[in-house]
Amino acid sequence: MSELQANISGIIKSSVIDGPGNRMVIFFQACNLNCLYCHNSHTIGLCNLCGLCVQNCPTQSLKIDASNKQIIHNASTCTHCDNCLKNCPENSSPFYKKMTVEHLISEIEEVKDFISGITVSGGEVMLQSEFLKQLFISIKTHPELNHLSILVDSNGNIDENRWNQVLDWVDGFMLDIKAYSSDVHKKITGHTNEKILNSIRYLDSKNKLSELRLVLVPGYNNSKEEIETISGFMQSLSPEVRKVLIKLRKHGIREKYHYLSEPTQLDIAQAVEILESDKHKLLVI
Amino acid sequence: MTNIERKENQIMEEIKNRVRTILTDGSLDYKQKKHHLAYIAESTQSYPEVSAEAMTALNEKVICDLFEGSAPYRPRYILPDYKLALKKGVKYLELDPPTDLDEAINFLSILYAHVPSITGYSVYLGNIDQLLLPFTGDLSEEAITKKLKLFWRYIDRTLPDAFVHANIGPEDNVIARTILRIERELKQVVPNLTLKYDTDITSDDLLIEAAQTVFEVAKPHIANHKMTAADFKSDYGVVSCYNSLPQGGGSHTLIRLNLKKITDSHQGNAEAFISETLPKYCQITLDIIEARIKYLVETVNYFQNDFLAQEGIISLENFSAMFGFYGLAECVNQLMASSGHNYCYGKHEEANQLAHRILEEMKKQVDSRPLPYCEANNGKAFFHAQSGIDIDIEETAGARIPIGEEPDIYAHINTVAPHHHLFNGGISDIFHFDETIKRNPSAILDIIKGAFKKGMRMFTFNLSDSEFIRITGYLVRRSDLKDFREEGSRYGSALFAANSMDNADVDKRIAKRIDSHERTAGQY
Ligand code: SF4
Ligand code: SF4
Repeated sequence: MSELQANISGIIKSSVIDGPGNRMVIFFQACNLNCLYCHNSHTIGLCNLCGLCVQNCPTQSLKIDASNKQIIHNASTCTHCDNCLKNCPENSSPFYKKMTVEHLISEIEEVKDFISGITVSGGEVMLQSEFLKQLFISIKTHPELNHLSILVDSNGNIDENRWNQVLDWVDGFMLDIKAYSSDVHKKITGHTNEKILNSIRYLDSKNKLSELRLVLVPGYNNSKEEIETISGFMQSLSPEVRKVLIKLRKHGIREKYHYLSEPTQLDIAQAVEILESDKHKLLVI
Repeated sequence: MTNIERKENQIMEEIKNRVRTILTDGSLDYKQKKHHLAYIAESTQSYPEVSAEAMTALNEKVICDLFEGSAPYRPRYILPDYKLALKKGVKYLELDPPTDLDEAINFLSILYAHVPSITGYSVYLGNIDQLLLPFTGDLSEEAITKKLKLFWRYIDRTLPDAFVHANIGPEDNVIARTILRIERELKQVVPNLTLKYDTDITSDDLLIEAAQTVFEVAKPHIANHKMTAADFKSDYGVVSCYNSLPQGGGSHTLIRLNLKKITDSHQGNAEAFISETLPKYCQITLDIIEARIKYLVETVNYFQNDFLAQEGIISLENFSAMFGFYGLAECVNQLMASSGHNYCYGKHEEANQLAHRILEEMKKQVDSRPLPYCEANNGKAFFHAQSGIDIDIEETAGARIPIGEEPDIYAHINTVAPHHHLFNGGISDIFHFDETIKRNPSAILDIIKGAFKKGMRMFTFNLSDSEFIRITGYLVRRSDLKDFREEGSRYGSALFAANSMDNADVDKRIAKRIDSHERTAGQY
């Protein structure tokens, strides 16, 4: 089992914005949605070794390692120009690494005294649910790590059987509702949302949904009807679920989607007016 | 006129000029002028007898007495046993033991005004929650808040110096909580504040309150209570610039060794530095400490004459002295460079190891040198990583990593935590966070607990963008700095801060720094 590997696009050892307390965040590569406003679009795809980034790197910091099916990155010559990320046809990156459960555990051990827990994020982490299950069991049965809480940041576009694989080991899931109407959802993410709505309901029924977030995208999901249906859906969930309204920020999104606009104060105020109720407080960030 | 007469005339002229400069300095208020005039009067006395070598080291600022003056007539740090005073009353001040909260606050307010110090303002106000709790009776929280608020305002307006320091904790209680709330509301520079934190005693709730207060006013500073308490025979207080000292006593003097300067003049490698140069200068520093202690105790007879000592509110047995140093980072980096390595303190293990050896050697020197009148620490000085003052342009405070070169939070803690146990006289490090942490105060708890678990003794943290700036050991308000540059400030510490902001790369980390009258007096 321990031979299992996951594609890890990055690790942040101290984050104060990925759940309660100081947390280590592990980012997984590959996603099954393609949101217009994705801020980490290079984590969407998997690398197919096309070699384009290798040819275009201005500092020759990349090399294809054909035998190991990976790209070797020379960090000492890289100037972080991000050319490779911007031009990858697969929305991927030459930087992500294959890591084993043991490897991740040793990274967590290093910072265990300073964190409340870990958060796995992506990409879409649940695509690697078998690996996650092993990772989570290793944490929760580890004498020095079992106090750590485990949060999963997911897009929810996942079948029920995958949730069941990890449910017992996870303290909370943080999901997005990107739209309620399937059409709008398709416009924003390229996919419909039946599975996502089911996931939200399912995790809430298991008392494992800790946070539900809505990114407000003017011209897409901020019509009165759309917000009202989202609001109705939110109110049907337990009051304990933390509801968060996130303003779309253009920083870091792909150039071809720069036509998107950030919500105005008024857009936010109108959405808050509809979404918030006595029982369901809304955090705006 | 004989030569001697001519020389005396010349000295007199100099003094007159210095006095005149102070009298006509429009940025000083009446009390500040008086304080500086006293410093000049003191400087007419010859320095306590030390070797010519020691005198040269003092003159060249290789060893620095932090403007204590040339004729010590009061101990540098006095920590009155306020608990005892409240119990027995103070005859000299005709104060009977208080019976309720109003009387207790009034009692302390009066007593504070009579505690000597180098700056003219008491560096220690006591473990304020423990002192006042017995007097809360059945007062409502509202009533307590009102009284404490007035008390806090009194302290800030009459003891306007950021070296003035109050302690709270480790127990969670209504006074400690109210003080934190008041701090957030009043946003005063004074008093500086330390929370004594003990994992087994202090509640997470109180620590969160404290963290939220830090977000607003860059205090309290957090002390590892268990670790610090273990270094003292009885109660301790954290005073002035993160000095931990015995209650009912204190420190006669604080003399600090400039590690950068002794490295500049050192010929040879790191081994020779540790075996020759460093021990030599440690001993000279200790010689100066000894001479100053003797002057204070034997020539001035302070402990026979002062009412605090006469009434047992302080006692000589609870005193020791402080051996401080600064510029460790520069010392290590220079020694590394001269041996052909580009290793830096805080970044490379080799440099961190050398730093550790230097600290161990200093500690050994301090611990093996008997000093008179230092019973509080069994006849030895307390070892202290001095947080620096405004004139330190080239040297980093104590054992800190230079501003702007701090590694990530974990590497930072792992670099400094291993030596915190050495400093029974106190040490502090500053960690920096950005504003996003305000939404998640429990993240601070994780880091505080982790840092203490790794053996840290004390630390504080700064937020980018805060109105309060903590630079070396003290606080100043950003707006006071601006005002001071324009027209002077009520706070003696603002000058120190203005100088510090100018001298250090402080803006790089958007932190805070402050001065006291020690410095302002020294420049005239
Ligand atoms: S990272 Fe992208 S561009 Fe580079 S080889 Fe992989 S798929 Fe091609
Ligand atoms: S970020 Fe680094 S690896 Fe990527 S293209 Fe630029 S220099 Fe090359």
